[in-house]
Amino acid sequence: MATRRGFLAGLAAAALVPRPTWADVGSPDFLAAAKMPEGDYALVGLTRDGREVFRLPLPDRGHAAAAHPSRAEAVAFARRPGTFAVVIDCQSGEVRARLDAAEGRHFYGHGAYSRDGRLLFTTENDYGANRGMVGVRDATAGYVQIDEFPTMGVGPHEIARMPGTDILVVGNGGIASHPDAGDVDLDIPAMKPNLAYFSEAGSVLEVVELEPGLRRDSIRHLALREDGLVAFAMQWHGDEGEPAPLLGLHRRGEDVRLLSAPGPMQAEMDGYAGSVAFSRDGSRVAISSPPGGQAQVWNADSGEWIGRLRLRDVCGLSAGPDGFTATTGTGLVVGFGGEAVLWDVAHQGAFDNHLVRLAADL
Amino acid sequence: MRLVLALLACCAGPAVAQERAEVIRDVVGNHVLPRYAALDEAAQDLDAAAQADCEPESPALREAYGEAFDAWIAASHLRFGPSEVEDRAYALAFWPDPRGDTPGALRALILEEDPVVGTAEGFAEVSIAARGFYGMEFMLYDEEFAGLGAEGYRCDLIRAQARDIALIAGAMQEEWTGGYADLMLRPGGDRYRSEADVIQEFYDALGAGLEFTADSRLARPMGEFDDPKPARAEARRSGRSLRHVRISLASLHDLAERLMPEGVVHDHLGAAFDRAETLAARLDDPVFAGVSDPTGRFRVEALKGAVDRISAVGNEELGAALGVAAGFNASDGD
Repeated sequence: MATRRGFLAGLAAAALVPRPTWADVGSPDFLAAAKMPEGDYALVGLTRDGREVFRLPLPDRGHAAAAHPSRAEAVAFARRPGTFAVVIDCQSGEVRARLDAAEGRHFYGHGAYSRDGRLLFTTENDYGANRGMVGVRDATAGYVQIDEFPTMGVGPHEIARMPGTDILVVGNGGIASHPDAGDVDLDIPAMKPNLAYFSEAGSVLEVVELEPGLRRDSIRHLALREDGLVAFAMQWHGDEGEPAPLLGLHRRGEDVRLLSAPGPMQAEMDGYAGSVAFSRDGSRVAISSPPGGQAQVWNADSGEWIGRLRLRDVCGLSAGPDGFTATTGTGLVVGFGGEAVLWDVAHQGAFDNHLVRLAADL
Repeated sequence: MRLVLALLACCAGPAVAQERAEVIRDVVGNHVLPRYAALDEAAQDLDAAAQADCEPESPALREAYGEAFDAWIAASHLRFGPSEVEDRAYALAFWPDPRGDTPGALRALILEEDPVVGTAEGFAEVSIAARGFYGMEFMLYDEEFAGLGAEGYRCDLIRAQARDIALIAGAMQEEWTGGYADLMLRPGGDRYRSEADVIQEFYDALGAGLEFTADSRLARPMGEFDDPKPARAEARRSGRSLRHVRISLASLHDLAERLMPEGVVHDHLGAAFDRAETLAARLDDPVFAGVSDPTGRFRVEALKGAVDRISAVGNEELGAALGVAAGFNASDGD
């Protein structure tokens, strides 16, 4: 029987035992969620050359883990429109905390930590008011929610922290949703996506919209370069016969640059970009499309087209030793820089949408 | 009942290795190889016709162009292996071209009288937007290009385009017969680890071909109801928009028949193809100009709906029957 004394002693012990760091769990470079052949789900730690350093069970189909900057701790979200997320100890596999969305909110499946790892920011839906929110939780105190602020848009998706700062950037997809409607897009004609920047305290710093003709180009996923260049990947909900750009580049205070593949190659993406990444040296930028079975690559500075890697069910994308590392729904981890697969490692299970990069200050 | 049918369909399909091998032999031998051989032959004829007479209105040249383009459309869903080396498929067919890269690249060549058209090696380095059937269509059928720059240069450019098409078609034919067909017939290497991988390749080609016809050939000119875009119709200058839909449907139907030679799924697919092919045959709107009025638009939309229906049968029934599936990520977006 737990006594008050025993409970307090336990708390003290917990405070004294150092929390495991990423080095304690094999120094993974990435986290990915995977569906196993038996139908259960796992959180996998991967090195940038495709080796697996840990594999832990997930309670449900997990999505887009956010990784703590120093502690071996990851947040896995339930599938949209989920109302909970779990914080997993990547050494023991234990669920260290459970995050429940506040009344009238649900998660969108992405989150980001503050630079010091003390705060967790998550994109959420205030579905009564049809507005995006950022939920703020205290990662040092059981992830209790301490604040929230509006994202200045509808349907926020990925949130990221600008390298070397505590400035946050949010892709507001522009698509309304409601838990009563399940994972269904509502009111496409009213779409007005944007890219919004905030201070750590939630003050709006800048909101960037696309031209009116691209109102149906949903801004969803983000990648950041060390110098503050933001790449955003989009999903097109407009005229299916006229493919819109799926990749944009933005630097604060400047105009957006939109990149498209040459002529017919743009249509091959099926209007869908699932992930975006800069190459390790920052010189290239890529987006992936599982329905298009490919990743497309451009020069991140000149915007010049480089080529496309054809790869079945590719989605997870991040920086890698040869430029990029990608994961697929067929269980591959692949290295590439342009059009060719340079190496690949086969794993058990199907990798889910994203490959989350662990980097001390990214 | 539905479930029973699905189970029957599953077991009537080429589930066992021997049946899979038979399907692969049939598709490679009677669908793929004849199409690339026909393209090669028609492309060599086009080259000969252009070298003999480069006048854009020459009946012999236009006929040879039409026949070669037909042969390409019939093969154009087979986008793997030789067609993907050095972006050959795009060098033959750079379309859709929403930014107008093709006329832009052609204008630049003509106005600068770029000497690259003088050699096949030189022309092979030209932007893929200026090469292939769609670039050649501007040179043979577009009013602006009939009078742009010097006549002699335009003639050299047409000949270079025809020679380039012939070289690409020849190279693809050589690689198909010189090894790639064997890779598919005897899987086990890196490219195709098993017969299931080869079947998957054909299944993907069928799906991509149907989607291209529905989205690019039909939805693009339809545009929005209050903003139709007839000028986006494929190859409208040469009056080939509807023709491409028909050739493509016939070719995809042939592939589907060979992938699923009998059974319930075969019958469902056959009925869906018949419906779309009948609508296309009755359409009588060669360049989809009708999308600008409600009645004409309705008919094009009905055809697109019929093509989408074939895709739906393919996704819902054929995939399961063949034992292939849509990707984990492709089928569940985020």
